[in-house]
Amino acid sequence: MAGASIGTLAGCGEDGGAGGSGGKASTLSLWIWGGGLSKAVLADAAKHFTSPALKSQEIGGDFKAKLLTTMTGGKGLPDITGVKGEDIASFYPQAKQFVDLNTLGADKIKSQYLDWKWAQATAPDGTQIGIPIDIGPTALFYREDVFAQAGLPTDPAALAAAASTYDDYFALGVELKNKLPGTFLVKDLATIFSMVLGAETQFYVDKDDRFIGDDDHVRNAWDTAIKALKLGIDSKITDGNDYNAAMTKGILPAQLGAAWMGLDIASGAPDSAGKWRVAANPGGAANIGGSFLAIPKRAASPEKAFEVISWILSPENEARGFADASLFPATPAAYQMDQLTKPDDFFGGQKTIDVFGPQAEKIPVAYTSPYDGAISAAYFEQLGSVETKGTNPDQAWKDAVSKAKSVAQRLGVSV
Amino acid sequence: MTQPNVAIAVQEPAEHPLPRSGRRRRLRSVSGRRRPAFLRYWPQYLAISPFYILFAVFGLFPVLFSLYLSFHRWSGVGERKFVGLQQYKFLFKDHTFYLSLWNTVLIWAMSTVPMLFASLVLAALLHSVARAKGFYRMAFFIPNVTSVVAMAILFTMLFSSNFGLINVVLHWIHLPTYPWTNRPWGIRISIVALMTWQWVGYNAIIYLAGLQTIPQHLYEAAHLDGAGPIRTFFSITVPLLRPVILFTVVISTITGLQSFTEAQVMTGSNAAVNPNSGGPGQAGLTMVLYFYQQAFSYNDFGYGAAIAWGIFLIVSVFTLINWRLVARKED
Repeated sequence: MAGASIGTLAGCGEDGGAGGSGGKASTLSLWIWGGGLSKAVLADAAKHFTSPALKSQEIGGDFKAKLLTTMTGGKGLPDITGVKGEDIASFYPQAKQFVDLNTLGADKIKSQYLDWKWAQATAPDGTQIGIPIDIGPTALFYREDVFAQAGLPTDPAALAAAASTYDDYFALGVELKNKLPGTFLVKDLATIFSMVLGAETQFYVDKDDRFIGDDDHVRNAWDTAIKALKLGIDSKITDGNDYNAAMTKGILPAQLGAAWMGLDIASGAPDSAGKWRVAANPGGAANIGGSFLAIPKRAASPEKAFEVISWILSPENEARGFADASLFPATPAAYQMDQLTKPDDFFGGQKTIDVFGPQAEKIPVAYTSPYDGAISAAYFEQLGSVETKGTNPDQAWKDAVSKAKSVAQRLGVSV
Repeated sequence: MTQPNVAIAVQEPAEHPLPRSGRRRRLRSVSGRRRPAFLRYWPQYLAISPFYILFAVFGLFPVLFSLYLSFHRWSGVGERKFVGLQQYKFLFKDHTFYLSLWNTVLIWAMSTVPMLFASLVLAALLHSVARAKGFYRMAFFIPNVTSVVAMAILFTMLFSSNFGLINVVLHWIHLPTYPWTNRPWGIRISIVALMTWQWVGYNAIIYLAGLQTIPQHLYEAAHLDGAGPIRTFFSITVPLLRPVILFTVVISTITGLQSFTEAQVMTGSNAAVNPNSGGPGQAGLTMVLYFYQQAFSYNDFGYGAAIAWGIFLIVSVFTLINWRLVARKED
């Protein structure tokens, strides 16, 4: 609140030749958070685009808050900015703040990118807000050694076949628990709930701004999560340190998550290198995360900015982004390139693209509402309450829906 | 406007020794060439202006703007939609807000009561130390000036279930271990431990300053009357320290009700879904953390502002209670 209002008043500093005035600028500024783009690609881009000179800035702290504040201030905006995947929907009502990239020829490069990812950056009014940097296709990460010990399938294809539904997957979890007591297949209920719901095509609010948080698809995700709890295969770990320790020790020999989770596992549990594998996750492919580059409305030369974006996000450069910064490309053409097809030592030499590639192309086009984030809180709160306080699941569901409805109402969604 | 009068009183005591009255006002109007006070004293106003300008921009304006926002729906950009009292109506019925109030009060009580007692004991010990006084005082004060974020990360590691030092020690002395950071009461205790660690030395130093004002002869008299150290502590030290104790209670209430960083850092690990929700069972969700989540994680600035004003009301009530207690004790 304070931050935003200070922005309105002071307008914050103007940096470089960034937009605002609309005059001819000598530099082209780009905002990105740490690790959001490949440093090598950005360095090459700076050599490639010299007039106006491309100046990229790494913005620390809460990126979205800083972007919002600067937009509200109206001055000092960059010519190109990153927008995180989890934030893109919240910009739909503010699509006017961005240049419609279709007016700059985005429709001509659309075919290079995955449809469903492209659609995420298309506001309901048709404005193309951004071009995809990367995606987060989901998979099942698992410890081959622990699975072998418990007599579970260890081959990625065989495991994917044996655990194609959550019921099958949970059955493996029960088997694992019986063979190796104290070992869990599920990290927490929130993971299952968001994975199941993530494979749907709409979530809590539909395209017409109507609340659908009490529909069957949400209830199904809820019931699936509760099932894991009832079967006793839930580790109930929420703390990050414990989570890393559990993965290293093999107490938590599996994790469901997006491609970038491989990086988290590698940095959190480095001692388990070589023992992990990746398989297609149960219940269908979903996406978590993945960002965009966009051009704010007042950019000095949008044409030049678009030229830079389409260069940085070409399939070749997205492949380099994968090698350099583990950004999983949004361009299927990159999946054939060396950077992606080479074996990964952390996964025991597995070519993970064989799993992630087909998963990425199977993800359905989905509609995320600007209000989904705030509304989802009610469900996660109640799941946590069931998990840690033993609240009755049916009562918790009723409470979650009624809280979600009242939040939706407050946000102007019709209930 | 009281400022002009103050300025006059300071400036011209010799010229106008009369009390402020109608007479003085007449004197002024008679002189004829008097300009408005503001123009006459502009250098003085200029000299004090930096504070008022900074306060207006960074203090007053945000406060008023947040009041304005609390009657609107606003995502941070775009137009603000006036919604009247809707945000407050929601706040009044919001279970999560009441949970955050309960958490805040619980964490405050669990940390403040034992902490102030420990501070008092520590101050009494510090007071009787003969050598290396400066070292001990500094050592106890250091936690208060150390970065809270750094300490919160350290405490999360200490309380971590699988390899945290606390559980290692518990295991070592054959007590059952506990998943502190993954259970509602565990996370509260972790936060309480951090807050106690952070403030116990600060309060001890304040008590120490109070102790040094108690005349030594009272202790000597007590000693002659045969009172032991514990009796002396409760019959002389505590009663004479009452104003200082009340001061620390008031300060601890204000900081305790606004606690945020400790909980935010210690429970921020599940940031992917529902960020800043306060850890397991939301047991670490304090009022200010809830405000932060709504305003900055979900960009619901209108509701965030309403929560902030709810916190303001609650802190006001506590301040009133404190004030009544202090006033009664001084009668």
